[in-house]
Amino acid sequence: MKRKKKNNSKRKTSSYSKLNLFQKPGIKFFRPCPLSGKDAPLVDYKNIKLLKKYISESGRILPSRITSVSQNKQKKLSRAIKRARLLALL
Amino acid sequence: MNCYEHTFIAKQDLSESQNQKLIDKYENIINKNLGKVLKTEKWGLRNLAYKIKNNKKGFYFHIKFEGIGKTVEELEGAENIDEILLRFLTVKVKKHDLDINYFEKKDDYKP
Repeated sequence: MKRKKKNNSKRKTSSYSKLNLFQKPGIKFFRPCPLSGKDAPLVDYKNIKLLKKYISESGRILPSRITSVSQNKQKKLSRAIKRARLLALL
Repeated sequence: MNCYEHTFIAKQDLSESQNQKLIDKYENIINKNLGKVLKTEKWGLRNLAYKIKNNKKGFYFHIKFEGIGKTVEELEGAENIDEILLRFLTVKVKKHDLDINYFEKKDDYKP
């Protein structure tokens, strides 16, 4: 009896993973970094329009798991935002 | 030689001739101390995001220059004493991009 149950569960997971391949990309799925790659905007402390997208309404820096920015660019972003704050631009 | 970008904020109650004097003063300091000014930008009167020394607005100036460590030292030393200035920031960059000016476009739209 136990073996049968195990088999059932395995089949279910496999079928789900196959389904996921054909589903439309949602929040759970990997999104490429919007700041790296071709035609990506420059991360700079003077580029306020860009920086404003990556801070919350209260002025906090948004985490990269929400914005899907790569690790390298997130470091540069946070540095740029902090420089802009010092100059009272943000 | 290193590339630097320097921004400073002056108090809002200044006339245009005084602003020009400020820029000339600091350009002279850079040029005297083994530096070379490449470009100066005036970002104009802008609203500050928060109050600095009870000021709500300030004149922004931006200088791009080449120099060595001593130039920056002398420049910041002179600015620390200056009472007209509110803030300043020097950033070392690998390469200057002299074409892009993020703050010029806004002025064009106004008129």
